[in-house]
Amino acid sequence: MENIEKQVREQAKKLLADGTVDIVVGYEKGTLPFQTIPCFITNPDDAERLVWNRFCSVNLAKYVHDIIFAHKASQVRTKPEERTKKTVGIVARGCTTRSLVIHLQEKQYDRDQVVIIGVPCTGYIANKKLSMAVNGAEITTCTVAGDALSVETKGGKRDITVNEVLADSCLTCRFNNPVISDVMIGDAAPPMPDGEKEYNAVDAFEELPIDERWAYFTKEMAKCIRCYACRNTCPSCYCKVCFVEQSQPRWVGAGIDESDTQVFQFMRMFHMVGRCVDCGSCVEVCPMGVDLRKFLKKLDKDDLQLFNHRAGESLESAPSLSVHRENDKEEFIFEP
Amino acid sequence: MTEKTNENWEPKIIAFVCNWCTYAGADLAGISRLQYPPNVRLVRLPCSGRVNPFYVVKALQEGMDGVLVSGCHPGECHYISGNLSARRKFAMLKNFLSYVGIEPDRAIFTWVSASEGEKFSQVIKGVTEKVRALGPAQKLVKKL
Repeated sequence: MENIEKQVREQAKKLLADGTVDIVVGYEKGTLPFQTIPCFITNPDDAERLVWNRFCSVNLAKYVHDIIFAHKASQVRTKPEERTKKTVGIVARGCTTRSLVIHLQEKQYDRDQVVIIGVPCTGYIANKKLSMAVNGAEITTCTVAGDALSVETKGGKRDITVNEVLADSCLTCRFNNPVISDVMIGDAAPPMPDGEKEYNAVDAFEELPIDERWAYFTKEMAKCIRCYACRNTCPSCYCKVCFVEQSQPRWVGAGIDESDTQVFQFMRMFHMVGRCVDCGSCVEVCPMGVDLRKFLKKLDKDDLQLFNHRAGESLESAPSLSVHRENDKEEFIFEP
Repeated sequence: MTEKTNENWEPKIIAFVCNWCTYAGADLAGISRLQYPPNVRLVRLPCSGRVNPFYVVKALQEGMDGVLVSGCHPGECHYISGNLSARRKFAMLKNFLSYVGIEPDRAIFTWVSASEGEKFSQVIKGVTEKVRALGPAQKLVKKL
């Protein structure tokens, strides 16, 4: 992993120095002992700030979209012939590249505007699971050596294996290696342990009686405080005006009414049909620990079963709601 | 507002219908003097592809007991393929609504062509019966 980190820095430095990219998006050390935060590097000498480790969690594809669109917006008053394009370099694992594929398929920017530094991924450590593993104690240091994790809290030291605290979406990930890349770093990572059990949770949930499903949905949505962190971190949520903030028509009330929250979550998730790459960023950033993945994974499963499509798996496979076939399944159609 | 009880309750159903097929089918049902339950309110749209899944969810939130979406049969869309892309959306929506725990019969999708006045009245009868069997909508409804 140190080796990958070194190569990521070298690549970033090279790309910035020879002017291939204007900015590199990656991870850097955060303010807490082990945390990482996104960083934006424009000076080749700053490339040393980049890190790559098990704590690199959020999906960076969001920032590529943000940077390119902020740049575009800054040029509305420039003469068309003088407008420039911004090229963004990005340190991307499997799920990040899938999000980039979705952006490209949805024609958000051109392929030559993004330079993908692909890195093999073995999963990231979920903050919530880590904090649960130490019973919520404050973590002072946390070091990873291979698959062993040694966590030091005020109460003492604990050794845990990485697999115990990996994000759920990583454990069942089938795309831990980049699906597209311009520069590939290191060797392909081995498949994740529970790839076969991807839809187990969804299958089990489908078996529950309808009222229990509703009870679970309402219980989870009751936790939501509508901070919109899930939407803000989601690479597939890039609308200029989100439906929750739209006022004509006003789709969802802004208050604390529980049905408004349910409708907000339901529709945000429904917008992810064929677009959710299961990067787990929404779950990772949720301050209330809402179990969004249980519902998003259902959309993923239906997408695969009905349309034989996986979000962002390749540039060629069109987004499932943008195409159709004459023989699409229609058992759900009501015939009197 | 009187409280919804099973005695005085009548199902309230909203139907989003396409201008070219189902609306004409409803018209034919009317001209042919076919009887169907008066519980349904038709909303005419250019195409079933125009139906935003949000309309369905929003209708349920605003207290509709059932939502019906109906358009041209696949392959007969006035806009060539509007109903085909709608079909994909509805397949996902119907599954997802039922997955979160809303009764599948609250949202019903069907195809009725302009010549099927008889089928239109059958659909409305069928939907009304299904929704009546479920009783008043409780889930997702915004309580004012």
